[in-house]
Amino acid sequence: MSKLLEGRVALVTGGSRGLGRAICLTLAREGADVAFNYSKSDAAASELLAELRKITKRAWAFKVSVLDKAGLNKMVRTIDDEAGGIDILVNNAGIGQVVPLALMEEEDWDRMMNTNVKGAFLTSQAVLRTMVRAKRGRILNMSSLAGVKMMLAPVHYCAAKAALKGFTEGLAKEIARYGITVNCLAPGILDEGVAVNVPDNKKADYISHCAMGRVGTVAEVAETVAFLVSDRNSYMNGATVVLDGGV
Amino acid sequence: MECSSCAPAEIRKDRDHTFIKHEMSKCPKCQVPIEARIGLRGNEVISLKFCKDCGQSVEIVSGDAKAYMKAFLKLGEAGVDLSGEEKFFKQTTSTCAKCLDLIVVDVVTRQNKVFFKKMCPKCGPSEALVSEDAKYYINAYSYARAGTEPLVFATEVEKGCPTDCGTCGDHEQHTCLPIIEITDHCNLECPICIVNNKYSNHISLDDFQKIIDTLVSNEGHLESIALSGGEPTSHPKIMEIIDIATRPEIARVVVITNGLKLGKDKAFAKKLKEKGVYIGLQLDGFTADTHEKIRGRDLCKDKDAALASINEFGLRTQMIFVAARGVNEHQIGQAVDLLMTNDNILSLNFQPAAFTGFGGGKFKHDPMDRLTIPGVIKAMEDQTDGRVKMTDFAPLPCSHPQCVSLTYLLRMNDGSFMPFGRFVDFKKHGKMLRSSATLGASAEMQEVFQDVIHEVFANQDDIERGPEVLQALRRSVDVMFPDRLVNPKEAVQIGESQAKSIFLHHYMDKHDFDLERLRKCCHHYPQVDGRIMPACGFNMFHRGAATGPETPLAPWGKGPWDKSEVKPAFEEARTDTRQALAGLSPGEKPGKAPHNTELGNK
Repeated sequence: MSKLLEGRVALVTGGSRGLGRAICLTLAREGADVAFNYSKSDAAASELLAELRKITKRAWAFKVSVLDKAGLNKMVRTIDDEAGGIDILVNNAGIGQVVPLALMEEEDWDRMMNTNVKGAFLTSQAVLRTMVRAKRGRILNMSSLAGVKMMLAPVHYCAAKAALKGFTEGLAKEIARYGITVNCLAPGILDEGVAVNVPDNKKADYISHCAMGRVGTVAEVAETVAFLVSDRNSYMNGATVVLDGGV
Repeated sequence: MECSSCAPAEIRKDRDHTFIKHEMSKCPKCQVPIEARIGLRGNEVISLKFCKDCGQSVEIVSGDAKAYMKAFLKLGEAGVDLSGEEKFFKQTTSTCAKCLDLIVVDVVTRQNKVFFKKMCPKCGPSEALVSEDAKYYINAYSYARAGTEPLVFATEVEKGCPTDCGTCGDHEQHTCLPIIEITDHCNLECPICIVNNKYSNHISLDDFQKIIDTLVSNEGHLESIALSGGEPTSHPKIMEIIDIATRPEIARVVVITNGLKLGKDKAFAKKLKEKGVYIGLQLDGFTADTHEKIRGRDLCKDKDAALASINEFGLRTQMIFVAARGVNEHQIGQAVDLLMTNDNILSLNFQPAAFTGFGGGKFKHDPMDRLTIPGVIKAMEDQTDGRVKMTDFAPLPCSHPQCVSLTYLLRMNDGSFMPFGRFVDFKKHGKMLRSSATLGASAEMQEVFQDVIHEVFANQDDIERGPEVLQALRRSVDVMFPDRLVNPKEAVQIGESQAKSIFLHHYMDKHDFDLERLRKCCHHYPQVDGRIMPACGFNMFHRGAATGPETPLAPWGKGPWDKSEVKPAFEEARTDTRQALAGLSPGEKPGKAPHNTELGNK
């Protein structure tokens, strides 16, 4: 079978580690040229970039925050100039924080909403210019089971992930006319990424309610991402796909 | 597609086809030559015919509308070059400029211009310039879009076009702009006047009420009505007339005036403001000599006074500039300047002179060297240093595309104006082009705005002042589409604050009359007898002044103000295209009894 993403250019936010890294590598394996941004770990980014360049013709790493509008525009322009556009955007950048409401500071709330929601908005806005022009595109927003089901998770995290579902549906409706689809993926607890902060007792509780009896892996999620952003997934739009092993 | 001038869309039905052109053909039953209406219906090309003897018929000409249009436009484009070689484009029905008989003419291109080549059996051969830019003319056909039906047709299909005016069920567009002539008195005798003032009538309030009732009944909702004349301000009961027209179904009442009374009588101007009417100010010159040539005397002071009243009372104004070759064409740029600098002037309507009517019919002109729509746009471009350009304009798709061209000017946040043509693909966003002085804040327009915003957003680096255009569009969206219901009047006024417009409307005369254009006319003169007459057909055949004051009424014609029910004797003259096509003399083959067709039913 031919590769899923041959000839496509993908941008993955928060790509240097964890789930983002797995997504980058899987998209590259499926034939996409991959760009990612990161905000902290230069070492992880360099390592991933080297990995990607072994797999794909072109790969890019940008140290820019998803809250830096000018920086995002510059990043998109660079990719646009070099690759002639961006076909796929995975809004993966996000943070987690375990804190009960009683102790939650306003700053905690703002940081969560900014990184997880505003970041997706700013990045999508920057990338949309190229997608509208090309009348083609796939946007996938990485939500969480905590955004679609009642779970014992921090309220700001639940709120932010639920917001991404709304963001997905609104944007999907608005830009479908340009051949751009927008979907949302809501994984359950995974073996890496923000889930590493989940206390063991809660992880055990999750596993006990999961039909498959285990947490997911970032690789499993990345495989699903690769399909969701491919041309083979042509009719799905505005959907939130739950990937939780059956909770 | 619903005529976007005129919400609410859900009431009126769109035509099931897009009328493109007339084509000379034959009745499929009796084989008598008649003209066919060629239209696009889905992917089909259809030919709609009406024969007086055999009734209506529909034939499918092609199953590939795209290919048909491509071939049609290609045929025209083949003639668009600068060589002297003449190329045939199509045929249509025009008039002999001398006897006014309808005749079949060849439409030809030569040196990137378009001409009608005529051969009148009575008067011999002649030619007339139709467009100064063949490329514009040919391309205009690609903008055509389906017309909209009125709720009620005013007349039935009986004899064919144009004898059945109007408007009958075979007319291709409803009434976008009714022009109601409320008097035939005037305080000027303009050498270019296209009507035929007899100084005999002021419309009665009862008759006017009936006309308004008919319009509302036929159309449901009207974005604009225009009060004209004569000089409408000379009607002794103009304020009562305005009161009758001021009703929820009519968003805007425009008084078309020479401005003399407006300038002299401040109390009158103040009253007009209080009534909420719009002014259609005739202003087609800025110097004594141009006024004298076009309007008969130096009107500089009168026009200044009118503008002073407009500014003093904040009267919302549309400026009307009749442009004639060698007369005032050098002042076209000044008119654009005035539009852009005067906050009360919301739109500018250029009318390349039509040489018809009491004055216009005998106005000195050369039918082979006259201003047409592309010529006026070119003059604008030359005289405004490119602030408006040829490429900023697009044909109005809901009328016949050769009749009107327009652009909107977006008010930028710094107070300057940006023609929409610089950032909107009008061919793609035809819904934005409306037979209206201003953008409307309709749901349909909101959809179009969303598309335009995305496209400007995506291409802002390539668009002149792209980021600033986006900022201005953002402001417009906030204002035009508030999170609440707006009534039609409010929607019109909101739109006015965001963009101005420049229209070019070329009325027809004995030289360039084209039955095909008349077929889709949307500017109509409602009559006291209930007919709603497409403007140029009325001017050509019913005023009795198409070649000047001595012109006899067309044999089937019925002049303005005539309430008689009796129809003229059709048998006594060559009255329709069927006879013209067959080369029949008057009386040779009169029509039969009226057909009561489905389309023509009231």
